[in-house]
Amino acid sequence: MTETILEVISLKKTFTADKPSLIFGGKERLVHAIDGIDFTLARGEVLALVGESGCGKSTLALTLMGLEKPSGGRILFDGKEVTTFNNAGLKEYRKRIQMIFQDPYESLNPTQSIEEIVTEPLLVHGLGRNKEERRRLAIRALEDSGLKPAEVYLERFPHQLSGGQRQRVVIAGALVLEPRLLLADEPVSMLDVSIRAEIINLLAELRQSRQISVIFITHDLGTVGYFADRIAVMYLGRIVEIGPTHEILEFPGHPYTKALLSVIPVPNPRLRRKRIILKGETPNPIDIPSGCRFHPRCPVAVEACRVTDPTFVNVSKNHLVACLSVSPA
Amino acid sequence: MAISVTLETLPAKRTPFQNFWRTFRKNKMGVIGLVFLVLIILVAIFAPWIAPYDPYSSVGISAKDVYQPPSPEHPLGTDDAGKDELSLFVYGSRVSLTVGFFASFIAIAIGGSVGISAGYFGGRTETILMRFNDIMLVIPDLALMVVIIALTKPSLWNIILVIGLLGWTFTSRIVRSQTLAVKSKKYVLRARAIGAGSWHIVNNHILPLVLPLLVVNAVLVISISILNESALSFLGLGDPTLISWGQMLNYAFARGAMSSGAWWALVVPGFGIVWVVLALTLLGQGLEQVFNPRLETHHLTARKKTSFPEPAVPSGRPQLSPPPLLTVRNLSIEYKISENSAARAVDNVSLTLRKGEMLGLVGESGCGKTTLMLGLLRLLPAAGSIVGGSIDFDGHDLISLSDAEMMDVRWKGISIIFQGAMNALNPVRTVGDQVAEAIKQHDSNISGDAMASQVAELLDLVGIAPERKDDFPHQYSGGMRQRAMIAMALACDPQIVIADEPTTALDVMIQAQILELLSSLRERLGLSIILVTHDLGVVAEMCDSVLVMYGGVLAEYASVDQVYNSPQHPYTRELLKAFPNLANPEKKLSSIPGYPPRLDNLPAGCRFAPRCTLAIERCELELPEIKEISEKHYVGCHLLDVS
Amino acid sequence: MKRTRFFIKKLLWAIFTIAFVVVLNFFLFRVLPGDPARQGIRDPRMTKKSIEAVRVRFGLDKPVINCFSSVNPLKVGNCFINPLDTQFFIYARNLFKGDFGISFHYNRPVRDILMERLWNTVLLIGAGQILAIVLGVTVGVIAAWKARTSVDYGALSLSLLAWSLPTFWLGMIFLFWGSNNGFPIGGKATPGMSSAPLNEQVADVLQHMILPTLTYTIIFMGEYMLIMRSSLLDVLSEDFILTAKAKGLSTFQILKDHALKNAMLPLVTVIALNLGFTMAGAIQIETVFSWPGLGGAIYEGVVRRDFPMLQGAFLMIAVSVIIANLMAELGYSLLDPRVQSE
Repeated sequence: MTETILEVISLKKTFTADKPSLIFGGKERLVHAIDGIDFTLARGEVLALVGESGCGKSTLALTLMGLEKPSGGRILFDGKEVTTFNNAGLKEYRKRIQMIFQDPYESLNPTQSIEEIVTEPLLVHGLGRNKEERRRLAIRALEDSGLKPAEVYLERFPHQLSGGQRQRVVIAGALVLEPRLLLADEPVSMLDVSIRAEIINLLAELRQSRQISVIFITHDLGTVGYFADRIAVMYLGRIVEIGPTHEILEFPGHPYTKALLSVIPVPNPRLRRKRIILKGETPNPIDIPSGCRFHPRCPVAVEACRVTDPTFVNVSKNHLVACLSVSPA
Repeated sequence: MAISVTLETLPAKRTPFQNFWRTFRKNKMGVIGLVFLVLIILVAIFAPWIAPYDPYSSVGISAKDVYQPPSPEHPLGTDDAGKDELSLFVYGSRVSLTVGFFASFIAIAIGGSVGISAGYFGGRTETILMRFNDIMLVIPDLALMVVIIALTKPSLWNIILVIGLLGWTFTSRIVRSQTLAVKSKKYVLRARAIGAGSWHIVNNHILPLVLPLLVVNAVLVISISILNESALSFLGLGDPTLISWGQMLNYAFARGAMSSGAWWALVVPGFGIVWVVLALTLLGQGLEQVFNPRLETHHLTARKKTSFPEPAVPSGRPQLSPPPLLTVRNLSIEYKISENSAARAVDNVSLTLRKGEMLGLVGESGCGKTTLMLGLLRLLPAAGSIVGGSIDFDGHDLISLSDAEMMDVRWKGISIIFQGAMNALNPVRTVGDQVAEAIKQHDSNISGDAMASQVAELLDLVGIAPERKDDFPHQYSGGMRQRAMIAMALACDPQIVIADEPTTALDVMIQAQILELLSSLRERLGLSIILVTHDLGVVAEMCDSVLVMYGGVLAEYASVDQVYNSPQHPYTRELLKAFPNLANPEKKLSSIPGYPPRLDNLPAGCRFAPRCTLAIERCELELPEIKEISEKHYVGCHLLDVS
Repeated sequence: MKRTRFFIKKLLWAIFTIAFVVVLNFFLFRVLPGDPARQGIRDPRMTKKSIEAVRVRFGLDKPVINCFSSVNPLKVGNCFINPLDTQFFIYARNLFKGDFGISFHYNRPVRDILMERLWNTVLLIGAGQILAIVLGVTVGVIAAWKARTSVDYGALSLSLLAWSLPTFWLGMIFLFWGSNNGFPIGGKATPGMSSAPLNEQVADVLQHMILPTLTYTIIFMGEYMLIMRSSLLDVLSEDFILTAKAKGLSTFQILKDHALKNAMLPLVTVIALNLGFTMAGAIQIETVFSWPGLGGAIYEGVVRRDFPMLQGAFLMIAVSVIIANLMAELGYSLLDPRVQSE
């Protein structure tokens, strides 16, 4: 069933870096954190959002959550316009979409017990008639996150748990509201390698059993190879390429994607690949280059790239690339 | 694939308050302060029963009682009006403590509210509140208090109000900073993401985290209020109908205690003030140490002279020619955890490094790889010490060198690159300065010009424009800072460079740039590099040999080919299975149940046994020996025992 | 360029703060006692007519400010009067011209009295602060370096004790002991010394300065030592210290070239924040030792109900602190290259 659960249209979010000063004048400088994002997400689908720092992925997450007001564009969840929600509407929306964060050590309030943490969302939304019922729901969420026996965990405090266990508590806290969409912002980058797979596998399992859609934000393409249905590559506030996982990994279209794939280290010493190492660093989102925003660092840029801002081109049915060098299928 | 954790493995339940009390109990300063404070509060409460006379009445006093030295009837002497000093002292405590507590209550309430509001709501609210705060902060407190009370009536409530209403400025600043710090934490973001309102967030998330700070600050404010009250009373602005210690000193000063030689009139009330303020100060220091534990050892803490370790056990390898640049044999490093116990952070690790070789040191958190590297350079913190083995570098045994000789080897023989994202560079000195410092340290006769040109050359070598040598580290991006560290590490032409997680916090493209740089430098300069990392992919692409560490011991050590294509140790195998491989992206990643061992809780036998699916009984009892199972392929595992 | 902007912003803010204090000062002295003239001349035999004459002389018959003829905020008066003819404006204008009024007690212009006293206070505080900083920093560095040894514990205990002593009390103890041991019993100079040769005068002043400066130093040294110690402990745990050690620098070199500058920064902040306390200390010490400074002027103003003196001294103290604070902030920005984005 491919019912669309989320539709994002030309989403923009701008921050003010510098305001003109009363005394000294000066120009206003804006940070174009996200500058026109388009994609859709189906029910039960996993979309991996990949990009380096400065690409706007965290801002995108916050905007989708309604924690930042968009500066332009639309977000449609289940067909309803999120951007026009009032406070009550937003609160209702928050039950449907939940977020998991990167740092398991900072995501949990050290003065709250695990029970308090997991039942907090229920309290905020007035779910669960009494303490007993809330406790029951919390236990179920903890067990679904793989923490058994849950009763033992309820009375503990975050500092008594390991990184992996904490991350599971965070997931339980998100599950307890029975959301339809989970936004996972780099959920495993701060965990040891031998533990990462656990958490990813947990998310995969939840997707299967509860038909939750997942937007998995990461800078590490390697971890999502088997878990994501589609991959979207972000650069400087835009999605430059989006398509099914195996297509992106085997037949990348955008020069940036190609470069990224070529430099990700592979644990196989006999494999010597040609690495495309880009020069310089991602520019500041305040001064976005003209034309194609990638052109200053692009190894195959031509004159036209400095002038024209490319739009999406279909290289195959679901595979879109925003690059002038790519021709439609 | 859920994890069940049995009851025994989780630590006992303990609320944060119980945690606090356990720690506080052990803090001598805090406990002494608390005891002193409670004592004086009891004196104040039970004043009528403790004081031998009633200092408010003049019954039975005559002129001859004025300024009498201590005697059996008046153990602390009498004052200028003939009243008993001891009784005055006891009753005086009431006023001083009352003013102190009430005034600071007002100050803390205002300061806390202002601080939290400014910090939480931000924007215009914050600007207005903080600007007002800044103004009030700058105006000298005591002077203003003096003026206000002089112009109004010096009554007890007036004094309490004035001290309270002017005393909040310092608190609000601190509370605001803390609120801002807490607000940026992810759990506050999570609360907002759940849909919690401001009131809920402030109550459940901000306030509990600000409270410890507020308590410490409250103690400080109380002591300042008491000092202020006594100063005001001393200046003649105290409530004339009440006895306070400051008031007593006012009378003593103005009514000739000094010229009469009545030292007791000066000492007794002063002693009271010092008692209370000192008690509060000690309590405050104690609380601060509990809430903000600061490790009171640092990088320059003197090390105790350790006895030299036992002679190295030769590993039985024939010497090949030419001999390796670095040979580490059976190195063991211990950390002191408490008075009587130490933990083996590194246990019996051996490795060799030839000229031009790149060794990858791989392991997860707590495996001891950084400790091992610090040990090589003898940069261990005071709690760590080498307890066994030898380190042979270019013909010298590094362990037996004196401190001065070791300082020569550092940087010139072996240099190290730390994770540049952290504070590895001094933020208040220019980058060029710090690079030059390394050069000058090992070549003290170098001229200024020669040094400057070398710095420029080094920066150019790593791809940094030479003009940027006068910039400060915070003006560099993360990738540039790492390059600067590399330039600095090469300043003295070392033979070995240790790169400790050089790219962990960097983006994947920047990481590629840095690794490419290291690789090309290695070729050009003939460097030997030890690359410490948890990233198996990086090691595969760059290194010649690999040493896998787990729980402080050597798990597997071989050429990169052998380790990746025929791993023998169960941990190595599992780790490779858990590591994503873009060449085979659809492969499901596995994980290793459980978590790496903690230093203070190491298993008795093989360190990996608790998580190893192939463990046999022997694995839980005995630490495996490191054996060479094939040409230059070392593994420490009982399952491969040739016998 | 950015630095100039920073300086200008700070300067403007300091000026604004001074303006605020001026306004505050005005209203304090009008609101609280109501009618200073009556307070100043508490002679019950004064006739209504002469009271009125005094009021006119002090300008108290004029409206306080536009819309309010008295300081009662509920009684709205005439808004359309000449703003230049209000008490507030006259007060402000006088201040600007340097006229602080006439002291009730001394019958001289307050400004002249205060200007003499200002330098006495600066002398005393300057000496005391410099000594406190030098000693506090030295002991703090040693304590941090030898953290957790007996040297550290000893220094810590003494500093905590020094911090807990009331300033005026310590002064009294010293004065008491000193007066029985040959020290002068107060004041800045022995009477009659003004005709002596210069070097004898200087020696005399120095002798009078010893005890008050000592009091001052002890009180502040404790706090500076504590701050320096904890700040240095923090700095010495930073990674760049390990880098310096790895480069082969000796402990002394590291302390000198890397740690001290970083550790001094919080101390500068604390010194700036402390300027208010500094004045509080000055008030107390000058009172105890009868030192003719601004702090003593406040005390005299209180005891003798000499309101112009009190008002003028308060204003001068406040403005001095504001200016000193500004200089400390600017100085800090020169030391810490990270401070420019405010």
